[in-house]
Amino acid sequence: MAVPLTVVDDSKISRKMVIRALPPGWDVEITQAENGEEALAAYRAGKADVMFLDLTMPVMDGYEVLEQLQKESLNTFVVVISADIQPEAQERVKKLGAMAFIKKPVKTENIVAVLEEYGLL
Amino acid sequence: MSIQPYSEDQTDALQEVANIAMGQAGDSLARILDNFVTLSVPRIRQIVVRELADTVTAMVGEDEVSAVRQAFYNSLRGEAIVIFTQSGADELASLLGYDCELDAAIEQELLLEVGNLLIGAILNGISETLGAELGFSAPSLMAEHTPLREVLTPDQLSWEQALLVEVNFSVEKHRFKSHLLMFMTEETIDTLRDILDKFMDDL
Repeated sequence: MAVPLTVVDDSKISRKMVIRALPPGWDVEITQAENGEEALAAYRAGKADVMFLDLTMPVMDGYEVLEQLQKESLNTFVVVISADIQPEAQERVKKLGAMAFIKKPVKTENIVAVLEEYGLL
Repeated sequence: MSIQPYSEDQTDALQEVANIAMGQAGDSLARILDNFVTLSVPRIRQIVVRELADTVTAMVGEDEVSAVRQAFYNSLRGEAIVIFTQSGADELASLLGYDCELDAAIEQELLLEVGNLLIGAILNGISETLGAELGFSAPSLMAEHTPLREVLTPDQLSWEQALLVEVNFSVEKHRFKSHLLMFMTEETIDTLRDILDKFMDDL
């Protein structure tokens, strides 16, 4: 069955870059969200078993999404996708419950590595 | 001459490219300063060079600055300028591990080194992401502890309109802040439009 995946980024181009980099064999049903609020709404509608999450966004940013998920003990597999590649940025999001961090521009091989590591592919 | 503004998609694409390039520059800066660097959201404007000082003052919101510039050329042409706020320039030495009184020569060297690092990383990031070849000149010091309006006089750029991409880097614990401004020539505005369209078509 297709995995419900939500791609969260305020940039349409960036969402497109992520979606294009998805591994061809991965059966997903994609939902797009432009900010954190839309991402949480998608989660509540059952559309985000996996969430690819950008950090810098208006309305509600990626850090706030992670905090909210943690606060409500919500269970989704979050991969942060960010241009901010500083080790400290990666540590911060992992502390907030993100499972993995992928740098922009996203490459298929990086997504495959994460999915394989957690047996999702 | 009026230049057609970028579409929403073109601006979005350029902002994303700037964001990726900035991430790489921020990481390089974080490594040499050994501190977490807070990155801004890139700002993109088409500006009239005559109003250069007003536009940049509104963005930087500072009076006295130090500044380093580097020209870039090949596929895209323009000037990249790194502006260090007064406190930013003052904090640089201590962040880089100098604890003694600095002589002017060392301070200039540090500004040039960090300016060059940021500009080089941003230009490389843009060039890689867009597949556009870029070369750049050696960095030069434009000003030290000088009012912004005296630094950014319109004759600094030899064309009438420009595309401005602004990003800034700060280290909150140390009151360090620097702005990187990329001014692209009128001709480059059109060249870059085509490059961005192709970039989006390829997605």
